[in-house]
Amino acid sequence: MIRTTNKLNLILGAVLLTGISGYAVNAFAHGGATGIVKERMDLMSNIGKAQKTLVAMFSGKEPYNIQKVQQAAKAIESHAGDRIPKLFPKGSTKMPSEALPAIWENWSEFQKLSQDLAIYAGALAINAGNKKGMMENSTMMGSGTMMGGGTMMGGGTMMGGSGTSAKEQVEMLSAMPPMASFQRLAQTCTACHTKFRLKKK
Amino acid sequence: MKKILLGAALVGLFTGASVATYLLWPIETKARIFSNTKGNVQRGAYLARSSGCFGCHTNEKAKGPVLAGGGPLKTPFGTFYAPNITTHLEDGIGKWSLTDFSNALTHGKSPTGENYYPVFLYPNYTKLSNQDVADLWAAFKTVPPVANKVPAHELKFPFQYRFLLTAWKRLFFEHGEYEPNPKMSKQWNRGAFLATGPTHCVTCHSPKNLLGGIDNDRQLNGDVNGQNGEKIPAITATALSKNGWTKKDIVFALKTGSKPDGDAFGSSMGEVVRESTRFLTDADLNAIAEYVMSIENKDGKSIVKSPQ
Repeated sequence: MIRTTNKLNLILGAVLLTGISGYAVNAFAHGGATGIVKERMDLMSNIGKAQKTLVAMFSGKEPYNIQKVQQAAKAIESHAGDRIPKLFPKGSTKMPSEALPAIWENWSEFQKLSQDLAIYAGALAINAGNKKGMMENSTMMGSGTMMGGGTMMGGGTMMGGSGTSAKEQVEMLSAMPPMASFQRLAQTCTACHTKFRLKKK
Repeated sequence: MKKILLGAALVGLFTGASVATYLLWPIETKARIFSNTKGNVQRGAYLARSSGCFGCHTNEKAKGPVLAGGGPLKTPFGTFYAPNITTHLEDGIGKWSLTDFSNALTHGKSPTGENYYPVFLYPNYTKLSNQDVADLWAAFKTVPPVANKVPAHELKFPFQYRFLLTAWKRLFFEHGEYEPNPKMSKQWNRGAFLATGPTHCVTCHSPKNLLGGIDNDRQLNGDVNGQNGEKIPAITATALSKNGWTKKDIVFALKTGSKPDGDAFGSSMGEVVRESTRFLTDADLNAIAEYVMSIENKDGKSIVKSPQ
């Protein structure tokens, strides 16, 4: 009698453990993130998935497909804009969050980057079918003059120069190859991550 | 017994003194000659971008004016502040000559003969040709003067003593232009020049010894004690291939900051793309990729794959 009960207990225990660990893997994905931290990590993962598709096509590793580009761009657009700042309530830096306090110290910049992401992704969705040209090289933006916006010796983080708004750039982009939109999108990712995401320690 | 001990102590002292004297003996500066070299501003601007001047010499975090001085750069030796290199007469390099500029870049020597800390990458910039230096000078002369004094470096003992750097230079620094490897292709040599010279990939991406010199036997094998507490990844062909990177991925990432897995460079590499590598030509980016993908990791050592 005792033997059977032990066996039963073992089986029950194993089933329970499997069930729990299955749930645990899901709830503790992203290094144990829960709640809003997990939500935004999931959002970033989704952006990353779409971006992976775009990278493959713009780097020439996969054949360029207009529909796929539009899909991915629209996906990124839908995850950006107001959505990102909403997932970063003040001081939500509890582990395993990779958000830096700099976010709330530079809140308007953080918001702007999320808006830019939506704008450039939206532009890419529109321009995906534009005639493809060579990859826009930053050298083409200036003749090496000093202290200009976005030119060689000057400042200006975005291609269009420090004085141009994202909306103005979108107009410009409608006449340019889709790569131009992609590059601005990519720069926005990097701009946010370098300033606001925890560096690998 | 006492005599032997005394003798041993004296020998030890003498040896120590000799070594110190040798290490600290002033190094002769083989100043470069520019008599027939005319600098080109456009080439110089491109070189300034390739060399990463903007990243260190601008305080991006504080939205400081371009090239007017950097923010705090934390290293195991203390915190450095890159100086103002605009043409400002007091705060910048407005009073410098081409010779001053050249000695700084290629010898790590200030106009008053003092040593620069190798955080200023003269061990890499020394590989620049005379034409490169002249071009850079032409470009820097066009930067408008900006008044800004950066704080003094905050260094741990004994690194605040600049004269000790003479010893460091004797041990780890070799002056000289890049010398092409005749066995390798033109593209590989261009990549080697950039990666070990101005674009200095090897500096961040290689482990350092205790005194901050690059461990050349393990070139590109990453640095767990990177600047600002970052863990800098290995980028040998071995490491990159393991993570599924190809040459195309490298070129694309250096251009856009986007990685093949869909993530973007955060950390210092994002800055590198924004301030430097996105300005490089496709040819140069391909050359860097070629070089990097030629470095294999065999039993912990980095070796160049023989040309195919």
